[in-house]
Amino acid sequence: MDTLLLARLQFATTTSIHFLFVVVTLGLVTLLVGLQTAWVLTDKPAYERLTRFWGQLYVINYVLGIATGIVMEFQFGLNWSGLSRYVGNVFGAPLAIETLVAFFLESTFLGMWIFGWHRLRRGVHLALLYGVAITAYASAFWIMVANSWLQNPVGYEVRDGIAHLTDFTALLTNPSLGMALGHVIAAALLVGGMLMAAVSAGHLLRRTPDFALHRTALRIGLVTAALSITMVQGFGFAQFGPVGEVQPTKFGGGPGADALVAEWTARFGLGDYTPPVLASVGLGFMILIGFSLGTLWLLLPLLWRDWIIRLRFPLWLLLFALPLPFVAAILGWIAREVGRQPWVAYGLLPTDQAVSGVGPGVMLASLIGFTLLLGTLAVTNWVLMARHAARGAADPALGRRPEHPPADPRPEPAFA
Amino acid sequence: MELAWYALLGAFFATYLVLGGYDYGVGLLLARRTDPARRRAALNAVGPFFLGNEVWLVAAVGLLFGAFPLLEGELLAGLYPAVVGALAGVILVTVGVQLRSRPAGDRARATWDRVVVVGSLLAALGWGAVLAGMLQGVPLHADGHVAGVSHLFTPFVAAAGLAVVALVAAHGATFLALRLPAADAEPTARTARRLVPVALAAVGTAAVLGLLSDRVRAAVQRPAVGVLLLGLLVAALLAARVALARRRPGLAFAATAIALAVPVALVGATLWPYALVSTVDAGASLTVADAAASGPTLRLLGWLTVPLLPALLGFQAMCWWVFRGRTDGRAPVYW
Ligand code: HDD
Ligand code: HEM
Ligand code: HEM
Repeated sequence: MDTLLLARLQFATTTSIHFLFVVVTLGLVTLLVGLQTAWVLTDKPAYERLTRFWGQLYVINYVLGIATGIVMEFQFGLNWSGLSRYVGNVFGAPLAIETLVAFFLESTFLGMWIFGWHRLRRGVHLALLYGVAITAYASAFWIMVANSWLQNPVGYEVRDGIAHLTDFTALLTNPSLGMALGHVIAAALLVGGMLMAAVSAGHLLRRTPDFALHRTALRIGLVTAALSITMVQGFGFAQFGPVGEVQPTKFGGGPGADALVAEWTARFGLGDYTPPVLASVGLGFMILIGFSLGTLWLLLPLLWRDWIIRLRFPLWLLLFALPLPFVAAILGWIAREVGRQPWVAYGLLPTDQAVSGVGPGVMLASLIGFTLLLGTLAVTNWVLMARHAARGAADPALGRRPEHPPADPRPEPAFA
Repeated sequence: MELAWYALLGAFFATYLVLGGYDYGVGLLLARRTDPARRRAALNAVGPFFLGNEVWLVAAVGLLFGAFPLLEGELLAGLYPAVVGALAGVILVTVGVQLRSRPAGDRARATWDRVVVVGSLLAALGWGAVLAGMLQGVPLHADGHVAGVSHLFTPFVAAAGLAVVALVAAHGATFLALRLPAADAEPTARTARRLVPVALAAVGTAAVLGLLSDRVRAAVQRPAVGVLLLGLLVAALLAARVALARRRPGLAFAATAIALAVPVALVGATLWPYALVSTVDAGASLTVADAAASGPTLRLLGWLTVPLLPALLGFQAMCWWVFRGRTDGRAPVYW
């Protein structure tokens, strides 16, 4: 096993785990903003309870978003020091901006939001959640700017063998950015909506006493999911045009691809410049899942007179469909990232020149170590999330009044 | 220009060591607090600041990548085991603190608390090793890559790692003396007072081993500055001890905070103008100016950072202000 392969595997594993949590963060925070705004405006206790229940699940999910995100950030320096050496002048800028503009404030706001219940004025507390949501979207924007630059390097010139920034606006108007960003955000909303619908479906299937609450959440989740799957499809197909234009080798051959391969062979020498088939397999399955989830629209008429709950089987469908958007999201990234091989920065920096000089032994140890660590933590985190989701909205720790001390150890939920 | 960016980078990393340092210090002290209620009280004292503390590290690494791309690659890859150890520690603490209260059973909680203790230990050891690794130089070759990892395993690195562990523990205990309800603060202040001499001894050992090490003596460019800053570190610890004895936890906390920030300044200032000194080829050493990103990138980041910094500091200050003072029954309990 060589260092390069191990480093790529490590990147693929850790980013995929990171993304599984990030999509939930982005999707749920949007829904939470809606819920808490509704609570502040209408003062209905149902919205307060929904905010606390879903806020608790959101915060549990967020834990691994941070933990895996920190690994991602360090990985560039640890395993891909060639990347910072040759293209760091350009690629580093959006990442630095992301950490300062987005993450720094996002975490600061979130800490105050978690501990600010009953302590801050309601308007300030709500404003903090808006801050968390805005910075979460900002982070998605800047990371996509960085990723799109790797897909299609623009706004730079090479001097002394190193890329230098010449035009930052070109990074922001990168043709490989716009539709991809829309697609990622729509996918996150889809995941958030489906998660909300599926958890509520689970409670309704168990004939929860909290019927009204979970019925509301089911409706919100299902409508969000249906609207966003259409956006996912729209932005998804809209990507083929711009991406095919700037990356002719990505979606199969053609005259454009042949010309580019000839040019690269002249500049970089003989090599295999076609991406692995894995990329197109990923693309195919993702689109399949995308079309299947389009059937979410068929469930919407069943909301009338609660037929969806009375018939029960639609609830089972929602529950079983929950893994699909997650799988599709990972497949989509495999299509995008594997599809740009053998380049780290398309047509500019081959992957094998970007990897660090560390030996394969060290890299293997790091791959196994981080995969085990993050994998175990991810599974533990999901187990805890599932338990909290199953426990229901009776008394989440988040937003509990300080004068009601936690009922530690809490009574076991009736149906867990 | 490069000096300003290097100083800013140092300031972010030093602030992380100060703020994250008390998280890890409190984490280490969980090992001695066997009573679940007292553990919870300690974590609750950190509570609202926890997420905002660690993000200084995220921002520091972002700045490192944006403003010093060359350094980021060679530094992190060149000190691989130390960085990975610190990183694993940071992750364990992050996850442990936030998840420990999610399971209902006491047994599961105790397990998570052990995760936090181990994580805190790893993080403090790792960052100490990173700083010491910079101070003793790395085998940086002319092709710009660092070869191997065995250069890291020296007595000096080990001693420096342990010194940061001791510093962090003293700092965490001082933080608790400042934050816990007055009744609980007294025993913690006593712990802190006992930990300060331990930290002094550990720092002294690391300093002696550093002075004896050929590699450190060869790498250091300004020994006078180094000795001066070492003196400041010792003075800060002595001041902390006096302040603790006089029941002035606020002053003591300021002093231990200085003690954690000084090592960063020491490494940066004594190596200047170099950022990373090569032990094998003097010509391959990386100066701060060489490591910096080129002009347009720095200008872009400058336009962004200068207006943004007041906002970043302002929101952090808001967090400290809203949750100032000792914890009491009114504090929401989350972790
Ligand atoms: C919930 C997840 C999900 C679903 C249901 C879909 N996608 Fe997707 N897709 C993603 C989640 C995603 C993603 C994870 O968000 C990606 C990875 C990179 C990106 O920009 O978005 C992606 C990438 C991606 C790409 C690759 C862009 C590139 O290589 O640069 C294309 C062409 C599409 N998608 C097209 C579609 C179509 C036509 C779909 C359905 C009809 C579809 N996607 C459903
Ligand atoms: C979050 C979802 C993402 C997933 C699931 C993902 C997945 C992958 C995969 C599968 C690879 C290995 C490709 C191969 O070599 O076969 C890879 C490599 C890589 N990706 Fe991503 N990626 C994601 C996002 C990003 C983003 C946002 C960036 C940029 C900031 C990025 C930068 C890279 C780099 C630098 C490599 C290593 C070089 C290479 O092998 O191409 N990735 N990623
Ligand atoms: C499209 C892909 C990505 C998106 C949309 C994304 C978005 C996010 C979001 C919303 C968060 C907030 C915390 C959370 O979600 O739980 C986060 C955390 C983080 N992400 Fe990503 N990310 C992506 C890929 C990456 C990559 C490739 C990196 C590597 C540079 C990265 C670095 C980080 C870091 C360092 C954090 C922790 C910040 C904190 O402490 O709050 N992310 N990411």
